Amino acid sequence: MIQKTVASSAIPEARDPSLASLDDVIRVVGLHKHYDRVAAVRGVDFAVKRGEVFGLIGPDGAGKTTTFHILGGVMEATTGDVKVLGQPPRDARLMIGYLTQQFSLYLDLSIDENLRYVSGLRQVPDRQFSERREKYLRLMNLENFGDRLAGELSGGMKQKLALCCALISQPQVLLLDEPTTGVDPVSRREFWDVLAALASEEGVTIVVATPYLDEAERCNRIGLMYDGQIQQIGTPAELRNSLGLYRLEVHTLQLQAAEQVLTEASESGSIADVQTFGDRLDVLVNDPQIGEAEVRELFQQHHLQAATIDLAEPTLENVFVTRLRQQGSAPQSLAFPRSRGGNRDVTKNSSSDFAIYSHNLNRNFGSFQAVKNVNVEVRYGEIFGLLGANGAGKTTTIKMLCGLLPESSGDISLGGERGNLRSSELRRRIGYMSQKFTLYDDLTILQNLEFYSGIYGVPRRLRREKIDWVIATCGLEGRETLITGQLPGGWKQRVAFGASVMHEPDILFLDEPTSGVDPLARRQFWKLINDFARNGTAILVTTHYLEEAEQCNRMSFMVAGEIVTEGSPSQIKASQPGQLIEVITDQTQAASNLLKQQMESWRVSIFADRLHVVVDDPDRDIPNLRSRLDAANLTVHSLRPIPFSLEDAFIGVVQRSAHATPKEPQPS
Amino acid sequence: MKRILAQCRKELAQFRRDRLTLALAFILPVMTLFIFGFAIRLEAKNISIVVQDLDRSNLSRRYSEGIYETNQFVPVRWSGSDPLDALDRGIGKAAVIIPSDFNREITAGKTSTIQVLIDGTDVNNARVIKNSIQAFTRSFVQNQGLTAGTSKIIARTRLWFNPGRQESLYIVPGVFGVILAIYPSLLAALAMSREKEQGTILQTYASSISAAELLLGKCLAYFVVGIGQALFVIALGCAVFRIWFVGDPTPFIIGTGIFLIASIMFGLLIGVRANNRSVAVQGVASAGFLLALLLSGFIYPLSNIPFPLSLVTYIVPARYFIEISRDAFVRGTGWAGVWTAHACLTALAFVLFSIARRIMGRMQLPG
Repeated sequence: MIQKTVASSAIPEARDPSLASLDDVIRVVGLHKHYDRVAAVRGVDFAVKRGEVFGLIGPDGAGKTTTFHILGGVMEATTGDVKVLGQPPRDARLMIGYLTQQFSLYLDLSIDENLRYVSGLRQVPDRQFSERREKYLRLMNLENFGDRLAGELSGGMKQKLALCCALISQPQVLLLDEPTTGVDPVSRREFWDVLAALASEEGVTIVVATPYLDEAERCNRIGLMYDGQIQQIGTPAELRNSLGLYRLEVHTLQLQAAEQVLTEASESGSIADVQTFGDRLDVLVNDPQIGEAEVRELFQQHHLQAATIDLAEPTLENVFVTRLRQQGSAPQSLAFPRSRGGNRDVTKNSSSDFAIYSHNLNRNFGSFQAVKNVNVEVRYGEIFGLLGANGAGKTTTIKMLCGLLPESSGDISLGGERGNLRSSELRRRIGYMSQKFTLYDDLTILQNLEFYSGIYGVPRRLRREKIDWVIATCGLEGRETLITGQLPGGWKQRVAFGASVMHEPDILFLDEPTSGVDPLARRQFWKLINDFARNGTAILVTTHYLEEAEQCNRMSFMVAGEIVTEGSPSQIKASQPGQLIEVITDQTQAASNLLKQQMESWRVSIFADRLHVVVDDPDRDIPNLRSRLDAANLTVHSLRPIPFSLEDAFIGVVQRSAHATPKEPQPS
Repeated sequence: MKRILAQCRKELAQFRRDRLTLALAFILPVMTLFIFGFAIRLEAKNISIVVQDLDRSNLSRRYSEGIYETNQFVPVRWSGSDPLDALDRGIGKAAVIIPSDFNREITAGKTSTIQVLIDGTDVNNARVIKNSIQAFTRSFVQNQGLTAGTSKIIARTRLWFNPGRQESLYIVPGVFGVILAIYPSLLAALAMSREKEQGTILQTYASSISAAELLLGKCLAYFVVGIGQALFVIALGCAVFRIWFVGDPTPFIIGTGIFLIASIMFGLLIGVRANNRSVAVQGVASAGFLLALLLSGFIYPLSNIPFPLSLVTYIVPARYFIEISRDAFVRGTGWAGVWTAHACLTALAFVLFSIARRIMGRMQLPG
């Protein structure tokens, strides 16, 4: 593995020479923050260099947002020394751009009005304002939407506009608190391309928190934060190496049995961790050879079909989960107290009996066609993923499928029922968790759960048990009487999920259930989802996390209201045309800029110290690529084909099909 | 200054964008103007009265007809035997019983006693009824020439300032005060609490705008809106209720400006304390509305408010504005009579601003 050189490739031309000598733009020593008696941050130390992208990664409630508040100068530290650009953060506010977790925009103002307001607050001279406005709007592809209200933009455009607002005063430091939550993969990738360019070309120092670990791979360095402290700091590669584990991708047809066998074995021997990812198992082992042998042996012992085993690098998620396990903070996985004995009696293999079925489903809003001829077939016991960019029509489709929104045309059948999808009989067999929180913010957690168990008709004698299960699964014992509105977003999602499954539905609709949820809790979520599926529940789920979409048995990609690809995760990745190439050069940003001149910009993206490039014809394009980089005097350290991730596939599919249609989705 | 203007421009853009608020800012005040202007009548009129004439003489008939002619009372037909039942059933507010020896006693030069029963449920009205029946009886006795010469002094009263006792002249200038106390502060409180509710306030914390600049920026924007509301409501009020300035209008014009600022500052103060919009609306509705309605002298004379509570009236801005407004439309004294009210309003506006600014403090999250 090539050791990473931290931000060495991109020492920028400094904006302010007097500050160029200061190596650390942000220096935090011994930071503590207490709210009344609760300690949110307990001794944090880190430093960030000029032009560096520093990621702050950790579970919900780790103290990330508090750290951001203090760095942004909007909150006092209890103790500790925090310096931004050599000053206390409060005095450096004009040189800091801060994107808060909540909306940083005024949704009832237009793009121009938002920009003008922020530049007024930050005293940007008029002449520079119009210059920068043009520059940054062009950078974010927003230049044609100046009059549009911020509230009418898609999630991705909103966050890009918020970034524009933060950049309008040309800050030297950018603080971004989960900027891409709820943003689709295409927009997320564009957003990160902009960040990479800002850091390396303009020397902006960026501190960013994200729950997406694939984004964390694009940071120069990462601080792993847990329980108010930073547990580990390093480059993504360093963190992966420090784990001392290897990842085996095990493909087998008997996933469930294999997972059980391997999980039991993981308590001893060289297997450290096992997780199902859709059609494969990820097994972490101490030693690749011994581990592989052990897996094969276990398969033979238990008479499982032979599996294919591939060795791969551990992911940051592996690091994150393993480290937090070591801290003993992994959420508990408790068995759901089933009172109906699951749904196994529903014939799982009868192909005629779909739990969710739609044929040529259409929905128009005025002249805008939000959903076009969508076909969905989900069997009992199956996890089906509906993926797409913001505004692709996923939520509209789900609302029609569970009878919340009448369809314009098409056939729907739900749980064998056609026509009346809103009968109370049918509704009792359905669970629905919507994108926005379904809980009442002004009730306590307990009151919310009691309410939902009541309206879903959970028998009174079972309620206590189910509610206890939700609370224990969420790790909220002893805090049942907290007001729901005070919980961090990720926790609310967990409670909402619990509320939607208490009545043991046969069919479960989950609309972005894991948005804003930390990786560890997400893993627990998926364990629960898998558990429900195995007990015969049909599950339809949407998500922006393509790493977790791997857990679906089958999925469809939606673009502009239409399904463009469907299949299992492996099928979709295998059907991608072309090849993904990983390029490591000495000047990542320069290489990216060079390649983007000749290729569509979605084909090139920066992942920390390397580039991912999508080419259509490897035999022709790889030598071509190499010669172009050589011609520009860029040293190529490594250039090799790598397998597509689901996200690469998704972006490829979306971009290829978007060529025919206008790029920006209509506001719905 | 540039930041104040930037803040102000943003507030106005948001205000203009929100059609609901825009409508509320102008429709609600008009509704208030009409409801209060037409509905509130302090004078007792059309009081239902039962007269039981046991005498049935010419004199007694003239007496009962006389009562009806005051146009303060309307006769109620009552066929029962005991007029008290009419009061019990709420058919009449008062009952007059003329004794059977009424005519005889009076022509004999003696004193006759009429029994008057008044429904005392509404104490205020009961007193009004009692006074008017007594007054009528006195004038009846005089007009009939029954006691000529016995009374040496006859009081001749004349109403000053409002000779026709035109009631809108008293109510409408007060309604201006109530409207301008509530609606501009409601808008300001909403604008402030919305930023906290949606979390956008963090952006202002993260920039270097000071609490004073933020408050003044918002105040300036809603001052502009408030001027619009004031012009609209006052012009409409004058036209519909046919009132006009009776003297120099400058104290009123300047007073309106100061009062708007005070009431916007009150709204901002509520908004700074409230964490979401519904709390802000409740705050303005309960505190603002009650104070402006009850403790401003709008309906109940300030002199009637008992001691500890009377101190509260001194910090109700509407009190001073209603004083200025009534002077402009009814009394017409001008600066000499009302300059203290201007001074008090200015002081109040400044105090409210200072408190709001102190609460905003260093523009940081509490922690």
